Amino acid sequence: MLLQELRKHAKLAAKRHPMFEKNKFGKFYLYFMTIFWSGYLIFFGILFGFGFAEDFPTMEPYHIMNKGIFILLALDFLFRFIFQKTPTQEIKPYLLLPVKKNKLLNFLLLKSAVSTYNAIWLFMIVPFAFITTLRLFGITGLVTYCLGFYLLMILNNYWYLICRTLINEKTYYVLIPIIFYGLLGLAEFTLGNPVSTFTMNLGESFIKHNPLGFLGVLIVILGLGWINRAIMLKNLYAELAKTEDTKVKHVSEYKFLERYGEVGEYFRLELKLLFRNKRSKSMFRMGCFLIIMLTAMLFTPTYEGAFGKSFVGIYNFAILGILMLTQVMSFEGNYLDGLMSRKESIYNLLRAKYYFYSFAMIVPFILMIPAMVMGKISFLMAVSYGFFTTGFIYFIVLQLAVYNNKTTPLNESLIGRQSTGTGFQSLISGLSFGIPLLVNNFLRIALGETISLWILLVIGLGFTFTSNLWIMNIYKRFMKRRYKNMEGFRDTK
Amino acid sequence: MATITINNLQKNFGEKRAVDIENYAINNGEILGLVGNNGAGKTTFFRLILDLLKADNGSVQINDIVSNESEEWKNFTGAFIDEGFLIDYLTPEEYFYFIGKMYGLKKEEVDERLTTFERFMNGEVVGQKKYIRNFSAGNKQKIGIISAMIHHPQLLILDEPFNFLDPSSQSIIKHILKDFNVQTGSTILISSHNLNHTTDICPRIALLENGKIIRDIDNTDNSAEKELEDYFNVE
Repeated sequence: MLLQELRKHAKLAAKRHPMFEKNKFGKFYLYFMTIFWSGYLIFFGILFGFGFAEDFPTMEPYHIMNKGIFILLALDFLFRFIFQKTPTQEIKPYLLLPVKKNKLLNFLLLKSAVSTYNAIWLFMIVPFAFITTLRLFGITGLVTYCLGFYLLMILNNYWYLICRTLINEKTYYVLIPIIFYGLLGLAEFTLGNPVSTFTMNLGESFIKHNPLGFLGVLIVILGLGWINRAIMLKNLYAELAKTEDTKVKHVSEYKFLERYGEVGEYFRLELKLLFRNKRSKSMFRMGCFLIIMLTAMLFTPTYEGAFGKSFVGIYNFAILGILMLTQVMSFEGNYLDGLMSRKESIYNLLRAKYYFYSFAMIVPFILMIPAMVMGKISFLMAVSYGFFTTGFIYFIVLQLAVYNNKTTPLNESLIGRQSTGTGFQSLISGLSFGIPLLVNNFLRIALGETISLWILLVIGLGFTFTSNLWIMNIYKRFMKRRYKNMEGFRDTK
Repeated sequence: MATITINNLQKNFGEKRAVDIENYAINNGEILGLVGNNGAGKTTFFRLILDLLKADNGSVQINDIVSNESEEWKNFTGAFIDEGFLIDYLTPEEYFYFIGKMYGLKKEEVDERLTTFERFMNGEVVGQKKYIRNFSAGNKQKIGIISAMIHHPQLLILDEPFNFLDPSSQSIIKHILKDFNVQTGSTILISSHNLNHTTDICPRIALLENGKIIRDIDNTDNSAEKELEDYFNVE
């Protein structure tokens, strides 16, 4: 009864969300991506079904697939960071009702377990099982194999939720999955493949409908569910108490910015926005963490090739800006009415943001100096990618200032609303990730590395030195759309 | 000083007409009180004046500047509608300095102007080492009102300024608004459900019903209270 009622509310919350009706592009993008991925997975299912049989004639194809279950689960875990949101159900309104908290949390967990997202890999596994297991184990084997996979995805869902919840709270919890996967990888490659052997046996137990295999997975699911519930319960109280910053010990002033007029003031506001709010702070830390990771990758043999270097080089500069600037105006949506009642404040705000993230380029540049000294990348490459980022990439990403119209909560975390962003945001984010790499490699192959780097540098410098002009253009277009955007920001607060 | 002229202003939300004002003028240096039941269109009217909403028809002119065509009126206007105006991860001082800077005020000038509000702040706003988000609703209201007045605007718009305030703060803000009007000659628009306060400080009161101004009441001799009580059926 209660579950039905809460499920109804959750559905209504999504259906009646102001952005659901308005964001036609987002809806189209969502449907398109769903069809695209489903097709892609079916293709892979068929490809693996026939491909494994040819490439590994001494083994059954499902043995190979089962050996790779661990890789599949790790990939699924990563994809969930992009596609899956933490529970969206507003739990607070129900807390004063005569309903036990545990019951509410159980509902949240149950809801995420039955989410259709967990079934997406079936698009790959069903055709694969059809090709490889049907002839040997009949329809029962096919069904139990798919069921086993589905249960593994539910297990992965709970594992992801634990990690995501903890990472949302403190970014350094990202070490948990890194250490976990690192240890498994280490064991696999140094101790005689215990992980892949285990998953191969587990997969086979699914096909042969061995109850022990299913029972084991179910026990782990229950255990992870229980841990999830405990973590969420703890966070619920933290969220309700909200006492973390009622008294601030030290108020940072950033006085040196006072001499730079209004832009300096907005620059200071950007710093305070980043370091005084939970969500922006976590995102910023994540960006810094990724920069360090990417820099470290430059020293690994995998990235010694031209493509690898350009991949790491570009993203090392661009990652922070792409991560933070795709949210441009969304944090400000919380207080946009106040900003809009002051003349040209948005123009100065955009300039300040641009300058801030352009200055931030110094960090990856300094981190790359050892790589430059060791000859891993050239000085020209670093300068070229740096300016290409502050010029061309920021030019693309900052266009979102015109179109973003959904407020991102500044401090809400797990047990509050989740900001999902718009479809257009995802598209621009995707483009800003893809285009630079594409342009760079196309030029490199066509004209050679040095010329391509010079071209990128010229493009970057051109956009960088004309930034005031194109930011003014963005501001004017923003002002044309202001009513629509303000309405969107207000509705999604 | 600022004059506001409304020309055939209309705003619809779906089927409902939220604001429908044919012609209306608010003169230089006037204090206008806006009263009406919930949903009468008071806040929407203010948002339209401040160009925070798109009018379906008509226009608002502030000192001959059409408010949705130019931003020049923002230089001499101050407003506080709701918490959406506050940058809540700043401390109140930081917020006041930020606003001050937007209008070319130095820190010292802001500090000096804040002294006018000392009684109103009652020692609970500045020097607390707290971000705005952690203040009570009443103190957030005070921060919003002060931030709207700190640059001495020629046009001041306050939506429900007495909300959340304790009785003594309500009384203090009434005096502050009256003095501000006398000293600066600025035009002040306030909306309120508190009839006593509205009649106390507003020589002119507009009664809004279903988006229309149905009565334009002269309250120079404090005679509006009875008329308003009759309308709102207050016993």
